[in-house]
Amino acid sequence: MKDTGKKFKAVCYLNQFFGQIGGEDAADVAPTISEGPIGAAAIVHSLTDEIEVVKTIVCGDNFAASTPAEARDAVLDLLDGVEFDVFLAGPAFAAGRYGVACVLMATEVRKKFGVPAVTSMNAENPGLGMYRSSIHVFEGGRRASDMKKDMGRMVSFARSRLHGEQIPPAAVAGYFPTGVRGQIFLEDGEIPGLPVLAAADRAVDMLLEKIANRPWRTELPIPETRAVAIAKAIPSLKEVKLALVSSGGIVPSDNPDRIESCSATKWGKYPIAHLKEGFPAGDYKTIHAGFDPTEADKNPNVIVPLDAIRHYQRIGRIGEIEEHFYTTVGTGTTQAEASRMGQEIARDLKERGVEAVLLTAT
Amino acid sequence: MRLDIGRFPIRDMAFGKETRYEAGILHIDRNEALDVVMEDAHIVSAELHIVKPGDPVRIVPVKEAIEMRCKIGGTAYPGVTGQLAPAGSGVVHALTGGCVLAAGKKWGSFQDGLIDMGGPFQRYTIYGSMTNLVLVADTDEEFERHEQQKRNHAIRWAGHRLAEYVGSCLQNLCPEETDVWELPPLDARGDASDLPGVVYVLQVQTQMEIPGFNTLYYGWDCNHMIPTLIHPNELLDGAVISGSFMPCSSKISSYEHCNNPTVKRLMREHGRTINFLGVILSNLNVAMDQKQRSAQVVASLSKNIGAVAAIVCEEGYGNPDVDYIQTLVELERVGIRTVGIANECTGRDGASQPLMTLDRAADALVSCGNVSEILHLPPMPTVLGDIHSLERDGISGGWDGCVAADGSVTMEDNGIFCGDHVSGFSMKTCVDY
Repeated sequence: MKDTGKKFKAVCYLNQFFGQIGGEDAADVAPTISEGPIGAAAIVHSLTDEIEVVKTIVCGDNFAASTPAEARDAVLDLLDGVEFDVFLAGPAFAAGRYGVACVLMATEVRKKFGVPAVTSMNAENPGLGMYRSSIHVFEGGRRASDMKKDMGRMVSFARSRLHGEQIPPAAVAGYFPTGVRGQIFLEDGEIPGLPVLAAADRAVDMLLEKIANRPWRTELPIPETRAVAIAKAIPSLKEVKLALVSSGGIVPSDNPDRIESCSATKWGKYPIAHLKEGFPAGDYKTIHAGFDPTEADKNPNVIVPLDAIRHYQRIGRIGEIEEHFYTTVGTGTTQAEASRMGQEIARDLKERGVEAVLLTAT
Repeated sequence: MRLDIGRFPIRDMAFGKETRYEAGILHIDRNEALDVVMEDAHIVSAELHIVKPGDPVRIVPVKEAIEMRCKIGGTAYPGVTGQLAPAGSGVVHALTGGCVLAAGKKWGSFQDGLIDMGGPFQRYTIYGSMTNLVLVADTDEEFERHEQQKRNHAIRWAGHRLAEYVGSCLQNLCPEETDVWELPPLDARGDASDLPGVVYVLQVQTQMEIPGFNTLYYGWDCNHMIPTLIHPNELLDGAVISGSFMPCSSKISSYEHCNNPTVKRLMREHGRTINFLGVILSNLNVAMDQKQRSAQVVASLSKNIGAVAAIVCEEGYGNPDVDYIQTLVELERVGIRTVGIANECTGRDGASQPLMTLDRAADALVSCGNVSEILHLPPMPTVLGDIHSLERDGISGGWDGCVAADGSVTMEDNGIFCGDHVSGFSMKTCVDY
């Protein structure tokens, strides 16, 4: 890549150790921001003249791990008014709390400021278990001795992003897949090692390997699905508190939380205690982009059956009903995002003493 | 069963006084050819064009691609262009390196697609690198004029007649080369019986419940059948005709059925690495019990004829992914090792689940492309057909406003004619980002 002489501005995020505040004794420190590169961030300048580290944020690992919401808010506040083009978090190597913090901060900074966010960690780092579709996490070493190599990959990717170059496939660039797939032409040779063969030959070759019990490489790895055990039946709905949850996109008509119509990342909960007959049309509608909304807008109860539930409550078949309904949009929503939202909703339901859920999908 | 396909490579094509093939050059009597097209009174206007690789030409809406060929002493597409007759043995003379492309003059439908003969999107279909005779026609099929789903009967059948008409000029000629496709009956496989038995499962598109849309086997609607064992030569000899219902990049044209590269490769492997037991023609119906039944029958049929491995090819995506995965699962369940060939639909942001349904048993998949990929096509000096069909007629991959004033197009891969080439021609795959 040719050096254009242009300086891009970067903000680095480091933990207390790489930010040179201290070791485990300093792991509780809240985020601070400093001018220019601190500690490991200085390596960026040794790797490229094109990126200037304008600020370094340092946050204790414990602080980030035990109070993530607080840490996130603090980091976002510190960046208010700062001009920057890219966010570099870590590398975090195999350090678990640090890795989780890097993914969290990179995701949140990208969401709020819209800049590319890059981090790096070892394949075993628990940070990789987090939802991370909007950022690029590079595969890094286990220890700090890999610092230069890991930071090098982050910086080189950041430069190419800042120059507006196309993002290469994960296997080429060395980042962990983000959950996005796209097509390539094999003859372009983008991924070294892939055979430049027509699908017919790839299929027959793969079959011959499979027959011979030799290793083969599927072109579409099927992600591991976690089977969720079916819950035990509830003997009587009179004795439990029931909540309504739906991925059908029913929201108050002004969609106050701006839940996305497709590929949702947000869920909402809205009061229903006052709705004794079900959802009135007009005040509620669906924002789900995956089906014809006509019938649902005419009668939102066809998606979230509040009318029927109220009827059963009146005749004594159902006892208590949670005073909010929970909602999001299921179309195009990734499994990872759905699982995060599901966990958040479940936590909230638990806190509110809900023991049964009627989950409606579309 | 032995089928000889004599090849007559098209080195050039031109209109001339007489339809004939000489020294690699295909001459076409345009008037006589148009007479054949107009034999169907429902064709109200028709024109013919010749397009060559690299030509600055865009063709849309393309409805069908058909190999120009003749069956010596028979009919090229039995049960469709001619009388019913058994296919799979005898002699075929075929023009290679080109085909008939049957396109609408104005009106497109869901299953129609786009072909660029030159420019950066030439490579998005195999037809961009072939010398083709293009039929551009309009019909009086008013009942479906403004329907998104069209049977396209008049134009598709005109394409088949035209292909057979041109092919008939090879009747008494000596081919440059002959491919011999021969596979003895299952009980006469000799030494090949010691090799692993393999079947090819072809899941053709059959989702329409009303007649006129689905893939045909000897003219029979494949929606109304249970999976059946056919000789690979029947496929190569024109027994299977493409339908008129599926997002276009997932479509297998009639040309591709007759030239199915996966079947050809399996035929070549027969006796060397495998015992190729045959093709199981299966379908992609809508009702759940029909999906289940077909998957089970494919598995039991495969097992009964001694298959230990299978390749499954799916023509379509979305709903038929259920049939595809279920068939792979059923085969694996009875101990038959499988490889699947299909495309993916990863959504506009690339983050959607690539197939409607997934199963860990489907552990060897070949991916032929991503229907959701957004393509930006530059304007093309010549358009055959109507570029606005892409935005007006519900062509898969197009939408209202996808054609700019300068003729450039933004569309999904979905709308490239047979572009994902699940028959096995695809040079594309999908990767993680």
